Amino acid sequence: MALKQISSNKCFGGLQKVFEHDSVELNCKMKFAIYLPPKAETGKCPALYWLSGLTCTEQNFISKSGYHQAASEHGLVVIAPDTSPRGCNIKGEDESWDFGTGAGFYVDATEHPWKTNYRMYSYVTEELPQLINANFPVDPQRMSIFGHSMGGHGALICALKNPGKYKSVSAFAPICNPVICPWGKKAFNGYLGADQSKWKAYDATHLVKSFPGSQLDILIDQGKDDQFLSDGQLLPDNFIAACTEKKIPVVFRLQEASIRKS
Amino acid sequence: MTSEPRGAARGPSQRDLEEEVDELVHLYGLEDDDELGDEFVNENMPRIEVSEYPAYVVPGREPAVGQRDWRLSGEAAEAEDLSFGGWGSEGQCQDLREAYRYTHGRASEEYECYVIPEEEDEEEAPDVFCVTCKTPIRALEKVLDEHKEHEVTPLSKALESAKDEIHRNMYRLEKQIIEMENFASHLEEVFITVEENFGRQEQNFESHYNEILETLAQKYEEKIQALVEKKKEKLEALYGQLVSCGENLDTCKELMETVEEICHEEKVDFIKDAVAMADRLRKFLETKTDVEISAQPALEDQTLDFSDVEQLLGSINTIPAPSAPVINPQAPNSATGSSVRVCWSLYSDDTVESYQLSYRPVRDGSPGTDHAESTVTVKETYCSVANLVPNTQYEFRVTAQNRAGLSPASECAVYMTAPSPPVIKSKEVRSCEEAALICWESGNLNPVDSYTVELIQAETPGASGVTESVVGIPTCESLVQLQPRQSYTIYVRALNVGGPSARSEPATVHTTGSYFRLNEQTCHPWLTISEDGLTAVRSERKTPTREPPPSSTRFTRCVAVMGNLIPVRGHHYWEVEVDERSDYTVGVAFEDVPKQEDLGANCLSWCMRHTWASPRHKYEFLHNKTTPDIRITVAPKKIGILLDYENSKLSFFNVDISQHLYTFSCQLHQFVHPCFSLEKPGCLKIHNGISVPKHVTFY
Repeated sequence: MALKQISSNKCFGGLQKVFEHDSVELNCKMKFAIYLPPKAETGKCPALYWLSGLTCTEQNFISKSGYHQAASEHGLVVIAPDTSPRGCNIKGEDESWDFGTGAGFYVDATEHPWKTNYRMYSYVTEELPQLINANFPVDPQRMSIFGHSMGGHGALICALKNPGKYKSVSAFAPICNPVICPWGKKAFNGYLGADQSKWKAYDATHLVKSFPGSQLDILIDQGKDDQFLSDGQLLPDNFIAACTEKKIPVVFRLQEASIRKS
Repeated sequence: MTSEPRGAARGPSQRDLEEEVDELVHLYGLEDDDELGDEFVNENMPRIEVSEYPAYVVPGREPAVGQRDWRLSGEAAEAEDLSFGGWGSEGQCQDLREAYRYTHGRASEEYECYVIPEEEDEEEAPDVFCVTCKTPIRALEKVLDEHKEHEVTPLSKALESAKDEIHRNMYRLEKQIIEMENFASHLEEVFITVEENFGRQEQNFESHYNEILETLAQKYEEKIQALVEKKKEKLEALYGQLVSCGENLDTCKELMETVEEICHEEKVDFIKDAVAMADRLRKFLETKTDVEISAQPALEDQTLDFSDVEQLLGSINTIPAPSAPVINPQAPNSATGSSVRVCWSLYSDDTVESYQLSYRPVRDGSPGTDHAESTVTVKETYCSVANLVPNTQYEFRVTAQNRAGLSPASECAVYMTAPSPPVIKSKEVRSCEEAALICWESGNLNPVDSYTVELIQAETPGASGVTESVVGIPTCESLVQLQPRQSYTIYVRALNVGGPSARSEPATVHTTGSYFRLNEQTCHPWLTISEDGLTAVRSERKTPTREPPPSSTRFTRCVAVMGNLIPVRGHHYWEVEVDERSDYTVGVAFEDVPKQEDLGANCLSWCMRHTWASPRHKYEFLHNKTTPDIRITVAPKKIGILLDYENSKLSFFNVDISQHLYTFSCQLHQFVHPCFSLEKPGCLKIHNGISVPKHVTFY
């Protein structure tokens, strides 16, 4: 698959690049950002996948988070894909900010007209890692995933649905229980149809209940004053209760400030 | 040892041998090597040149003879030790002997061996060696009856073993040379000593005889003088007598003349004078004339008193009593805990038969320490005095003794025994990957000068490591630098002017992880610490007791205890086994953390607190009474704690699932200690000596 470099910038001794490629899963051109630390010049590095939240592109993380110094110091390759397929000309894709464009919810849609393009789950767990492994100095055995909000949800479900694939998973203010919260209900209804039993396959809280192993290291940070927390969109308590029940190790930190920044 | 060359008794004639020798000399370019070549020819013997000895010249002996003797002794050794006799026939034996020549290099370690094939049978050279017959044979010969059943080895191997044997014997010869040389120099010394002794005796005799002669002369003078006096006396007495005799005679004569005159006088005058004269005569004759000789002519026999001369003569053979010896000051490091080695020297000309060494402990003024003096008699000028008390000063005096008597005592020298070894407080040893803090008890009642710590790194089992020493330690503790992930055996010695003590009992330190024990002195009264200092137990209390009074060392409010961590920066890691259902607090605190407050309630402590409120586990990470809001879904059973001074961090982990729980950023301007408390009855067990696990190193 041909990779077209869109941009390349030196940053903390490494390189922040953006590539574009033709995605098979998503049937469109997709961009992703990748940071190559100085260590990548001489050897393979672990890969860290960042999933952004609602309305984001591949740019938000690389321009706002300031992660480069840490990635450089620790020798991590950080990959930040886009949050949904773009320019697919699907009717209604730009109607809301929390559904369609910029709101892929990291699922493989089964409903028409979304199912052709909106396969973000497979893209993130299959196509993108294969592409990265083939073209960049990453160690395929050392992969981790993290994300914010919707991306947090995406990170949690990717890890829970693929035991052993990721070394660790962290989430900032993730949507923990989408089948219950308004965002989730809207998205799943649209992408997966009305049958709620199909939704559970993409719900972290439900997935935990049937998670086979406990070899997972989950870290969740949540801002205490996050409005979406109080709006009941995020529901971390449900997730924590399920993890406690199943003895899945999670450290959940309730931070004083809101983390929401996009 | 005869001087007849033994070679003459052997097979080939001298002439043949000489020719062959010359041939060999030419063959191996030894013409210039005169020593070897000439000796070879001159000696007229086939022999092995074992080595070039320096020509040893014994004073007063003929060098050639000496050398010859060496040579022959070498040859004798050769004949006996090199067991060439067993190597087949005489003729072959000899040829082979010539064949092996060793040249002796300068370093006397290099040997070159030339193996020459026998000249007669060049086409059919022997190539194997018959061990049974001890002779080289051709391979074909093996098939023959003679050697059929015999064991055979390749010639090269046989040569090798022969070479080895020769080497060994050469070594023994060299050793003998050294022994002889030593003996010779010893003899030289004895020579010199005899000369010295003679000189001394000569002087002695001379002075004695002079003394005797003087005494005799003196006596003679005295006696003669006495005789002369006596003679004078006698003569004077006799002279006196003579004079009085003369006077008497004169008076007699005078009277006679008077009487004659009277006789010629007239009758009347005659009668007058005659009567007077008769009176005078009568008177005169009545006075006795002493006709005894007052002085005897004979002079008495003088008794000659030679007793003192006899005594002098007798004392020629006796030597004077010695002078006081000179006692040496104590040589450093010559004492042990129970003995000292006292040395002295004699006054140079004295003859001494034995010395008496007296000693007693130095009085330190306290009552009841007036010890009796002990004495020991020795013949040498040194003595190791044993059965002494360690770390104590003793006064020593020595007197020399010979037949003539005792010398005055020497000056008094003070010697000190070495101290007793210290006792390492094994239970209080603390360590980390880079250092260990050892403390010990002095082991001596009185002060010592300093201590030495000895470290031996255990490398491989059975191999002894290098001993590293830290000297001049003034107090009973020492922080020593060590290499990580090693085992060390540590000893301590005490030192005083007498020397070092014996080694203490060892303590072992493993520089894997950090080792510490709970400090009993900080322990709240309701906590019990185990014997090994690693478990803290709070038991159920039947009756509530009052809180203990405030203390600066002991926790009074919080049922807590601190560990004694080694005061070294860097990384420290330890693990605590906890009961999921108990309420506990684990973390670190400064030494002066207020003991009447809870852990984490001030800015001098950082800790993780678990509270079990069924069914929930509550976790807090406390510093200065504040904690972040943290929820942990899997309750840890074993908590790993990483203290990182460099990065000012304190991290907590769930050891079993390698999960990071929380990290404090803490300003550690001083050293901190691990701290533990139990808010409810329960038990905490500490695990030490663990290397920082890999997953922890990321934090």
